[in-house]
Amino acid sequence: MTKGKNVIEVEGRVVECLRSAMFTVELENGHQVLAHISGKIRRNYIKIMLEDRVLVELPPYDLTRGRIVFRYRN
Amino acid sequence: MNTTPFTSGLSENAVTITRVAKSQWHALDDDLVVGRGHAHHRPDGRLFVSIDAWHDVAFDRLAEAMTKTLPAPLYTVVDEADAELTVGWRRAGFTIRRREWEYAVPTDPRVTGLDEAQVLPPAGVTIVPAGRADERLLRAVDRAIRDEVEASVGWQSMPAEVIPFPEGDTIVDPSKYAVAATSDRYLGLIRVVTVKEPRIGLVAVRAGEQRRGIGRALLAQALGTLHRSGFASAWAEVQESNRAASVLFEGIGAQAAGSNLELVR
Repeated sequence: MTKGKNVIEVEGRVVECLRSAMFTVELENGHQVLAHISGKIRRNYIKIMLEDRVLVELPPYDLTRGRIVFRYRN
Repeated sequence: MNTTPFTSGLSENAVTITRVAKSQWHALDDDLVVGRGHAHHRPDGRLFVSIDAWHDVAFDRLAEAMTKTLPAPLYTVVDEADAELTVGWRRAGFTIRRREWEYAVPTDPRVTGLDEAQVLPPAGVTIVPAGRADERLLRAVDRAIRDEVEASVGWQSMPAEVIPFPEGDTIVDPSKYAVAATSDRYLGLIRVVTVKEPRIGLVAVRAGEQRRGIGRALLAQALGTLHRSGFASAWAEVQESNRAASVLFEGIGAQAAGSNLELVR
């Protein structure tokens, strides 16, 4: 887990692709968050799929939500 | 950089917007970064913006600051299923310019009907598999097709090309292209890039060579290769108004799996 720019970044795994362009991501600590994708991922047409390993940014005041900011290749 | 913040005054905890770099804005709420905005030029010269915010106030203030500062027209892309984001951009004055369908394209010849042994290119034309194309001829056909597109429907109406090309070039990796070839030139090409799941980034045939089955033969070769490599499907984006492309993909069993909206202000 890394912390910087007042956000928390945690690695996780996509366990569910939901409607409304949302994803359930299981974090390293076992917690699940509801995450959407960042503008950078969207504008680069990066597809997020089930089982993808991703980096999730969490807001400091609501750890149930997240934003996928990076998708790992493996 | 304009680092002079302005305060919204609309929220109990006022959101402050700061331009932290030429193309980057931050929304701060009680010293926390609650939103970020980016702007970038695509290879076609258009200016695209994106905003990641944790709540509507931050989104709206970022959009307000960016649209005041940046020259119009501004573009953005949203997943059509993401209603919240779409509504946010609409509040900022953006309207829908076009829609791209995302197709999941099967690779199995028994599903697509594109058996390579049967779906052959016209006489005198051969399909050169990816990795074996002559780079000079490949660049020539790519340039010619792009000029033809620009002179007809316009490249801006095509699914976005987002790779940062070297100046004056659009072929980043020649090994990704299969081509339809005659003895002295290429007539069409298909580009498939695989990161985790293959994506058909471009399939195109020279204007004077269309409706001869070259596109189907290129697809048959590319999808057949993917099928042998163990990929059950690929994906592709198609501009909604490009009926020919939609008919081609739907005719081989492709399913629309989603859609993206391009918005403009």
